[in-house]
Amino acid sequence: MPATDYQASFLGRISLRRNQVIAMDGNHEQEDLELFSKHVSERFTELLSPPDDVVFDTLLSISWLRKLLDVFLCCEAEFKAVLMMGDDDHPFQISKPPLDRLIHEFLDRSIKALDLCNAVTNGLDSVRHYQKLAEIAASALGQKPIGDGQARRSRKALNSLLMAMSVDDKECSAVKTTERSWSFSRLAVNKDRSPGHLRQVAKKWSAAKQIQAMTWNLVPPRGAEGSGLASPVYTMSVIMVFVMWALAAAIPCQERNGLSATYFPVRKQWSWDQSITGLHEKIAEEWKEKEKKGAAGLLSEVQKMEKLVRNLMEFTDSFQFHGGTDEKAEEAADHAAELAEICKRMEEGLLPLQMKIKEVFHRIVRSRAEFLQALKQGGKSSAPPV
Amino acid sequence: MELPENPNKDNNGYESAEKIILRWDSTASEDAREKMIFETDRHEADLYLQAVDEIQRSLSNASISAAAAYDQSKVNSTIQIAMARLEDEFRNILMTHSSALETDSLFDPSSSSFSSSSHHELEEDDTVSNEDSSHNGLLHFQFQHCESSDSSTYRSTSSIREVDLMPAEAISDLQAIATRMISSGYLRECIQMYGSVRKSAMDSSFSKLGIEKLSIGDIQRLEWEALESKIRRWIRAAKVCVGILFASEKKLCELIFECIGTDIDDACFMETVKGPAIQLFSFAEAISISRRSPEKLFKILDLHDALMDLLPDIEAVFDSKSSDSIRVQAAEILSRLAEAARGILSEFESAILREPSRVPVPGGTIHPLTRYVMNYISLISDYKQTLIELIMSKPSTGSRYSGDQSIPDMEFAELEGKTPLALHLIWIIVVLQFNLEGKSKHYRDASLAHLFIMNNVHYIVQKVKGSPELREMIGDDYLRKLTGKFRQAATSYQRATWVSVLYCLRDEGLHVSGSFSSGVSKSALRERFKTFNAMFEEVHRTQATWLIPDTQLREELRISISEKLIPAYRSFLGRFRSHIESGKHPENYIKYSVEDLETAVLDFFEGYPVSHQQLRKRSQ
Repeated sequence: MPATDYQASFLGRISLRRNQVIAMDGNHEQEDLELFSKHVSERFTELLSPPDDVVFDTLLSISWLRKLLDVFLCCEAEFKAVLMMGDDDHPFQISKPPLDRLIHEFLDRSIKALDLCNAVTNGLDSVRHYQKLAEIAASALGQKPIGDGQARRSRKALNSLLMAMSVDDKECSAVKTTERSWSFSRLAVNKDRSPGHLRQVAKKWSAAKQIQAMTWNLVPPRGAEGSGLASPVYTMSVIMVFVMWALAAAIPCQERNGLSATYFPVRKQWSWDQSITGLHEKIAEEWKEKEKKGAAGLLSEVQKMEKLVRNLMEFTDSFQFHGGTDEKAEEAADHAAELAEICKRMEEGLLPLQMKIKEVFHRIVRSRAEFLQALKQGGKSSAPPV
Repeated sequence: MELPENPNKDNNGYESAEKIILRWDSTASEDAREKMIFETDRHEADLYLQAVDEIQRSLSNASISAAAAYDQSKVNSTIQIAMARLEDEFRNILMTHSSALETDSLFDPSSSSFSSSSHHELEEDDTVSNEDSSHNGLLHFQFQHCESSDSSTYRSTSSIREVDLMPAEAISDLQAIATRMISSGYLRECIQMYGSVRKSAMDSSFSKLGIEKLSIGDIQRLEWEALESKIRRWIRAAKVCVGILFASEKKLCELIFECIGTDIDDACFMETVKGPAIQLFSFAEAISISRRSPEKLFKILDLHDALMDLLPDIEAVFDSKSSDSIRVQAAEILSRLAEAARGILSEFESAILREPSRVPVPGGTIHPLTRYVMNYISLISDYKQTLIELIMSKPSTGSRYSGDQSIPDMEFAELEGKTPLALHLIWIIVVLQFNLEGKSKHYRDASLAHLFIMNNVHYIVQKVKGSPELREMIGDDYLRKLTGKFRQAATSYQRATWVSVLYCLRDEGLHVSGSFSSGVSKSALRERFKTFNAMFEEVHRTQATWLIPDTQLREELRISISEKLIPAYRSFLGRFRSHIESGKHPENYIKYSVEDLETAVLDFFEGYPVSHQQLRKRSQ
């Protein structure tokens, strides 16, 4: 369900309780913790199947990602309520050890998540660039009959597109590839080789390293710790890492080398472990397959696009030299139509996705500020700098 | 329906046009690849454009004219060749004229953010000598020379100054080419290519502004001092960036694409500037997110003011729908900075309340906390213009009814009509005093505690009086209250120290009635003298090491002491010295002359230890 709805109903419950003059005891807190776990598990289980409107055979489509982010927002809202509500009973509970250290680590991860949101947003601009180029090719090849002119025109666009994808991939994997050579305009080779369309977050910043760093200290709470507020903090941390990892997997962002091998330290104690682990495994497998081919992100739409582009390249290549058979032309027209369809999906979906990421960004900022405030009020101002 | 023209002429027109285009097909001939039409020859260029027009006309005619002898696909093919060529030409012209702007020359020296009137230098002696200073959060942040902003520097007029990025001829060529490309349906190619060339130029110009690419994580980790200089640089660079770089780029897009449609020039503009714009604002965003602590207030306000100043320009430059996100982001950052400022102020107030140092300042002098706080709020009064608008709620004070002893309360009734900012400043002073009261209790000597309060409250009063804005906000009523407070402390000090000393010089108890004595008990008298001497020596020795930094206050207190001490001693001596001098060893009892005492009083509150010898020496 949409984040805002959930938030409203959950907070509604809290205010109702405040009005009741009943002493809150530990039982209520325990109940809330269990409920939180249960909800997390349910939501992530739902994500195992792709949304109805999606036709891809891979998980990481634009609408799936939007759903993922909605799930994040819901979980985050509940998480905050659980933590801060515990606060009412025992004021500033979160500022006392061992919880304060855990919260600080959580906030540290939040900062990394913010940078990752920015990196992914940059990556989405790259994807939009692909879309623009693909639109040229799709519209050129969409005209019937396909003439020499259209073939050349679309070939040019397709070439640029493939180059953009490979350069971005190079940016993302810091692996040297050989320069492609260009058959057309003499200008294309040297002057047009702009250093990749992908915008950097910072020099020497690495998405993979950031996510890896987020998993440090990510240890399931043991024993007595596990029954208190330490466990939702752990749960939310895992959720945050997973969401960021999935985004970085789907969308080209600065330096993703080694990301596919990110280790998720989970214990099969809770129900949500299984759903998140399940998702992780599914995506990791898809990744292994694609990695061999060298892809610019796992986003289903981009994957499909790449496949179509290669097909169409073949077609335009052969067209240039042999002319087209009716059959081949028919096929190409179909591919072009599919490509146009993908572009349409992107046109409709990329901007809302970017806005959703922005929403996540703002939410993380706001929650961080609230936690910092609560920690300060708890007394000790000697907090580690983050 | 067109008038039927000579079909042969048409045919010829088309054929010659086609010839021209094929001649310049760069995939077909070496020569065509080597030369650029628009670089070579105006006439050639014109001919080429006419040829393109001719082909385009044929394309549209072909659907109407029945005499269409041309192969549709051949025409298409020719168009494609022409478009490919034009694309190259377009790119070439762009690249010829797309060098990075020399941004150094664009910084306007008169709008430097280093205000010459930095009358907000902090007092020389802000360094902390106090032992546990390293532990308390507030004093740990040394308040070095903080460059003030003359707020007016930032609230200046628009900084939009569009620079001509390309010669007019180039622009008209580009326009001519773009028109043809777009009317042939090659809009997307045009935008893509324009964007990629201009992007590079923009990226170079932007990088010269020196705004580093830093992640949010980087910024959280940096020392605040390092960030302060980056913020300063950002403020200067942002004005140039928005007002000149972006504005000029926008103008260029408008010039080239104006006849063709606004959406197109918006699209090209955003392609070009999106990257730098995002980088520009993400720095400010990262700063607005950073952890709050008191020493950050003023730079955050500087950043806030600069951004607020820039907002109209941002809205002018990013006025299209596709640039919504940039405008929205700027507005969000602004409000987050405002929130940060408010948060920091509350943070500051709590920090003063909680400031825990217990080691008493030696000599009862001004506590570093007092200096820090008063300097801080003097600076706040300089930022009055901004803060008055930002601070909208009253401070949360204690209440007299809550019984909570750990927070002072403030009576708001007396402070009718004051702005929230003024209330906060008064509250800060209230809280400061409250904290100081607590600290004074750590002095074992009650006199010293009073002196401490006197010194510190007096300092507060002086600082308020020294700043017209501060004085105006605090108000003379409260100032009077504070004055009364330190005078009272002075009085309490005197009572605590001198009552018992002067008690030695009283008349009662010295006279005995009856028997053969002259009426004065010699033993009692000797006792009195001895006690007085001992007490005075003790007080002299101790209180010489105490310090009243303010010269005038020091003088006044000494005079006040003398006024009570000297006449009392003089009259005591006058009445009773003969009794002592008639006995044995008078020098053991009358150790000091009146002049000795007068001189000794001058040692008080100097902050230097004095030896016993010094006192005695004078009596010789």
